[in-house]
Order: sequence, then C-alpha cells, then structure tokens
Amino acid sequence: MEGERLGVLGPNGGGKSTLLKLTLGLLTGYAGTIEVFGVTPEAARKGRMIGYVPQRTRAELGFPLTAWQVVEMGAAVGVSPWRSLSREHRETVRRSMEVVGAEALAEQTIGSLSGGQLQRVMIARALACRPRVLLLDEPTVGIDVAGQKQFADLLKHLHDVLGLTVVVVSHDIRTVAAGCDRIACLSRTLHSHVAPEGLTPAVLAEVFRHDVAAIFGEVHVDAHSASACSDPSHRT
Amino acid sequence: MHTLTYLSDPDLAGLYWPAVVTGLAIATLCSLLSVLVVLKRLAFIGQGISHAAFGGVGVAAVLGLVGSTAAAATAGQFLVVLAFCMLAALLIAWLSERGGTEADTAIGIVLVGAMALGAILLHQAQGRGAVVSVETFLFGDILSVGWADAVIGWAVAAGVFAALWYTRRRLIFWTFDQTVARALGVSDRAMNTLLMILLALATVTAMKLAGVVLATAMLVLPGAVALRLSHRSGPVMALAVVAALAGVLGGLLLSFELNWPTGASIVGVLAGLFAVARLIEVIRGGRAVAG
Repeated sequence: MEGERLGVLGPNGGGKSTLLKLTLGLLTGYAGTIEVFGVTPEAARKGRMIGYVPQRTRAELGFPLTAWQVVEMGAAVGVSPWRSLSREHRETVRRSMEVVGAEALAEQTIGSLSGGQLQRVMIARALACRPRVLLLDEPTVGIDVAGQKQFADLLKHLHDVLGLTVVVVSHDIRTVAAGCDRIACLSRTLHSHVAPEGLTPAVLAEVFRHDVAAIFGEVHVDAHSASACSDPSHRT
Repeated sequence: MHTLTYLSDPDLAGLYWPAVVTGLAIATLCSLLSVLVVLKRLAFIGQGISHAAFGGVGVAAVLGLVGSTAAAATAGQFLVVLAFCMLAALLIAWLSERGGTEADTAIGIVLVGAMALGAILLHQAQGRGAVVSVETFLFGDILSVGWADAVIGWAVAAGVFAALWYTRRRLIFWTFDQTVARALGVSDRAMNTLLMILLALATVTAMKLAGVVLATAMLVLPGAVALRLSHRSGPVMALAVVAALAGVLGGLLLSFELNWPTGASIVGVLAGLFAVARLIEVIRGGRAVAG
C-alpha cells in the first residue's frame, strides 16, 4: 500500500535480489505480469518512480565530487540537457539532504565520508529523484548496532516527514523489524505477510529453514518506537 | 632557438605549424576525456582501441590512403582507421559481455590481433610499392601532420565537447554509479557505446602526432596528473586541460629544440608532470584519488 513501510525478509539465495531486479525492470524474460504503480517496471524505471539505494554502493568514490553534487545527480538525471537546473531543483537537493540529516556534509568530497554518512547521501540522492517509492537493498550490511538504530530512526523520520512508501529488503531480522509496518518473508516463495510483531520463532524458522531464534535471540519489536534489537541474553 | 626558426621560416612553417595546431586540438580533446578514463579505469581499453588503430592503418594502406598528406587521403585514412577502432571496441564489448571472455583478456586478444593484421596488411602494401613507414604509425611523425589533420582534429574536438556537454548529466551519473543510473533509466549500452566512440575518435586523432603506441598517454596522463592535485571537479577539469596543453606544447618544444621524436617527447613531458604532481601530493600528505 502507498505510504507504508514494507520489509522484505529472506535468507541469502531466497530471491530478494531477483525480486528487486524485477521491480526495477533490470531483469526481463520472466513469466507473468509485473506492474509498478500500474505500469511495467521498465516504464516505472524510465519514469524515475523508484528511488533505489543498492546494497554496498558500487559508486566510484574516487570521483572528485562533493556530496551536494552527488545528490544533485538525482535531481538532474531527467532534466533536458538544454536546460540548466532551476532554483526548484536546487531546493529539492537541499531538502533531500536536510531530511536525511546530511546538509552539513554538502561540501565534503564523496570519498571522505564515513559509511553511515555515505548511506545518508545515497538515500538523499534517491529522494532527489522525487520517487513514489524508496527501495533500500540490505541497508544495514556492515553497519554496527548503533548505526542500525540510527537507520531505523531515519526510516521513521522519512516516513513521518515525507509519507513516502519505503521497501526495505534484507536478510537481517532486526533491520526489517525496525521501522517497518508490514513484513513479507521471501524464501523462493512469498511465505507470509505479517506485522513485525508476527515475526515469531516459528515464522522465522519457516523462512530461514533454521531455528533462527535459538541462534540469534528472540526479536523484540516495538513498532511504535520503530526500534528492535536482539536480546544479548538469549544468545548462545 | 630552433622552434622560432621552424615556426617563422616561410619554407618550414608549413611543415611545423599544422603539428602545433593539431597538437592543441589533441590536448583539448583528450584532457576532459582523460579524467573519465582514469576515474572509470578505462586505460587498458583505451590501449586496446589505440593499438587496434594499427590494423586500421593496414587496411588504409591496402586501400592506398596512406603516405600522402592530401586532404582526401587524410580524411579517408581517418575514417577507415576510426571505423576499424570502433569495430575493435564493439568486438571487445561483444567478447566480454556475450562471449564469456574476461574484459582484459578480450582487450588483449583484440589488441594483438589488430596489430598482427596491421603488420601483415602494411607488408602487403609495401610489397605493392606503397611508401609506408611502420614507425610513423607506431610512434607518430610530426612531418606527417598536415592542415587536413588540424581541421579534423578541431572538428573532432568540437564534436566530442558537444557530445560530452549534451550527455553530461547521464554520463557523469553513469560513470560515477552505474548500478543506480541503470535503475533510473540510463542505458548501459548507450553510455558504453558513447564512451567507446569518444575514445576511438580521440585515439585516431592523437595517433598522427603520438602514434598508436603512445596515443593512450594523452588519454590517461592529463587526468592522472589533475587527480593527484585536486579532489574538486572544477579544478580537476581545469588542471587536466592545463596538463594536456603543457604536455603537448612542452613536448613539441623539446622535439624542435633537441630533435627528439615528437610523440615520445610529449609523453615524456606528461610523465614528468605526473611525477611532479605525485610529489606535490606526497608533500601535502594527501591520498591518491584514483587509479
């Protein structure tokens, strides 16, 4: 549904990346019909309806670009070459950086940013395209627990301020449990469609084909404060 | 000063001025592209395309388009070599994307294949009485550069600048972050093809002065020098242009004064500039930006 935060949880090899590529129109030759906001994924991609933030950026971080210039790419990508960027475009860039809390980074070169800062800039770039949905692929890979909490807060902030539809794809239970309204479990087939509170050990064991809770600790979810963590006392 | 004599003597000026004007076109043309080449790590594919030009020279020699500075022959040779370079670029792309060959292996195969073909065809052309110096095409020859080359050089520079300006938003986005650019509707194939065409154009233009072996230097060193000295896009572009102009003009000066081969002199100056830039970077305690 538009305006909600959907978490897609699944193990490695469960089909998360394939689902993403299909949604983004990067994979063709499938059977059946896929529609994104009523149009084909290719049309949605060309219409820049989807703001995409990939797992571990593959951007060339040695480029001599400031964070502002990187975010500006998102606002400028669809603008005719004959037109210069308007004040409105610049305002979009400024607001996108502000909403992710990256406005202070504007003049820093992209290669000098930390992992967390870089992620904020990449999300700001995706927002600068003015997408209808923000797609985040494994957003917390390589980020420590404090960073994951900050990410959950950021997701909630984006939802509160922009009312944007957000899809978070991850194999990490805490990432999707934190700050998502609904969760789809994908392990070759779409297993269940639950609220974060429904991530019971039985559901997790079914998705991961393993007793995840026994290894990982139970997942405690407080959907209202959009925070979740595994209880260290449950670790084995 | 030999330089002043060469450029002011009515009998010699016609031989040397075209090289200076063409050199300035090459420097301008290659400088901005070189920043992209270094950042996108395209130096080796540039090397592949430039060596493929030797195969194109072989074809041009067989067609009787080599060994003359007449405008028609110059333009014909340019087009044949350009077409050959583009075919080589397409072949590299096809081998690496569809043929299951690693990109660097594909480049290596096309590079040596084109060189071998060029050597065979040039040998055939020489056997039929054509006056062709292999060394001229390998290392460049200032005396082979005519006014037609200068006109072609500036026309290519204008075309490359226009293409870079027109595609600037998509091209910079795509070179910076291919995955996300693709997800926003920027075509991989269009951007790849564009870059290959621009590299082929620059290589074929630079080849006359620097030769196929040294032409790549013009597509790598100015960008490499600039990126050692700045992390900001504006200064990097400006420094690349300055480095390319200094390399070409400095190389021509050395060549005129010391009677050194022109291509090698230009590359020598550019390599010297890179060493100085790296030294400045080390003194500043900065990190290497790329490459």
